[in-house]
Amino acid sequence: MDVSEGPSDAQVVARVLSGEHEAFGLLIRRYEPGLLRYATRMLGSRDAAADAVAEGLVRAYRHLASCRDPTRLRTWLYRIVANRCKSHLGRRPTGDVSLDEAPPVADPGDNEAALEHAEELALVERALMTLSPEKREAFLLKHVEGMSYEEMAAATGERIPTLKMRVHRAREALLEALKEYQ
Amino acid sequence: MNPIDPTVHQALDGELPPETLAPALRRDVERLQAVVALLATAPLVGSVEQRVMAAIERPAPSAARRLLRWAVRPHSVVLRMRPVWSLALAASLLLLAVLPSPKFGPQLGEEEGIAQFVGRFPGARSVNVVGSFNDWGPVSIPLEDRNHDGVWQAIVVLPAGTHEYMFVVDGERWVVDPLAGRFVEDGFGRENSVLIVRPLRR
Repeated sequence: MDVSEGPSDAQVVARVLSGEHEAFGLLIRRYEPGLLRYATRMLGSRDAAADAVAEGLVRAYRHLASCRDPTRLRTWLYRIVANRCKSHLGRRPTGDVSLDEAPPVADPGDNEAALEHAEELALVERALMTLSPEKREAFLLKHVEGMSYEEMAAATGERIPTLKMRVHRAREALLEALKEYQ
Repeated sequence: MNPIDPTVHQALDGELPPETLAPALRRDVERLQAVVALLATAPLVGSVEQRVMAAIERPAPSAARRLLRWAVRPHSVVLRMRPVWSLALAASLLLLAVLPSPKFGPQLGEEEGIAQFVGRFPGARSVNVVGSFNDWGPVSIPLEDRNHDGVWQAIVVLPAGTHEYMFVVDGERWVVDPLAGRFVEDGFGRENSVLIVRPLRR
C-alpha cells in the first residue's frame, strides 16, 4: 500500500537500492506503526514486539533487492515480521507473562473513560492470547491490519481457504472467550 | 466452541449489511467490531527507527562471523520425551552404573594365570616354547621378535601350577631359559627351566 503523499514504495526502494540507504527511513516511518501494532498483538509483549519489528526491518533492508514486487512492499514486510514473531513465540518459555497482560495501573491523571478503555483492551488482549498463533495471525491480518485474503496469503504463505477457516474459527473463539470473561 | 451463524461471518466479511441480521446476531457482529476497534489502537511502543538505521549503517556480518556468533552463544535445547522413555533411559543408565564394566583382553578362568616368555636369540629365524603345559611340543607356542633386535617374547595364558619348559630355536635347537628362576633335571642328563604360574583370580 502506498501512501498518497510522498514517493511510492517502488520509488523509495529504487533509491535505497541505488545506495541512498537513508531513504529506508521513509519506509520505516510509513509501515512501523502497523507492524508494531501487529507484533504487539501477536506476541502480547511490547518489548518482544519492538525486537521482532526491528529485526524484521533490518532483515528487509538487507534483502531488499530480493523483493520482487516493490508495489507490494507492505505485504512483504508483514511476511518478514510475521516470521520474526513466530521465531519469538518459538523460543519464549511457556508461561511467560507479558507487561500487556498485567492489569492496567491507575494513574491520577487518567480519566474514567481512559481507564475503562485500558481495562477493555486488557480483556480483549487476554482473549486474543488464548487463540493459537495461526488463528491470531489470521484474525489480526484480516481485521486489524485490514488485508484482503489475497494479501494475507502472500503475507503468510498459506492458502486462502485455510486462512478463511482460521479467521472464522478465531471469531468464534474470541466471542466464546469474551463471554467467559464478562 | 459454538459456531457462529454464517450470516455473522458474511456481515463481518462485508458481504451482508449488518442491519439485515436478527438483533442477537447483530450483537455478535457489533461485539467483534468493538474488539477490532480496541485492537486497532496504537500500542505504547517506542519507534525502532533509530535502532534499525544504526544497524543497517553497520556492514552486514559475514556468514562465517554469523556462524561463529551462533556457535558461541548459549542456546536452549528442548528434549521432549514420553515419561515412559525417560524412565527407561534412567533405568538403563542405572544398570550401566551398577553392572561391572566388561573387561578387555583374554578372559581368565579361576585356575589360570599369565606367563611371559622372553629370550635373547640374535639371528634366530624362529623361537618356540614347549613344555609340560603342551605335552612338549604337539602345539608349541611361538615367540615374536617384534623389534628385530634378537629379543623374542610371548605372553600366554597357562593353567596355574608348576611347569617345565624349553625354548626351541629354528625348529631344532633346544635351549634352556637362562633367565628362569628355577631348573630341574630332565632325567636325560640335562635341565629344564621351571615356571610357576599363579592364578590371577583368587
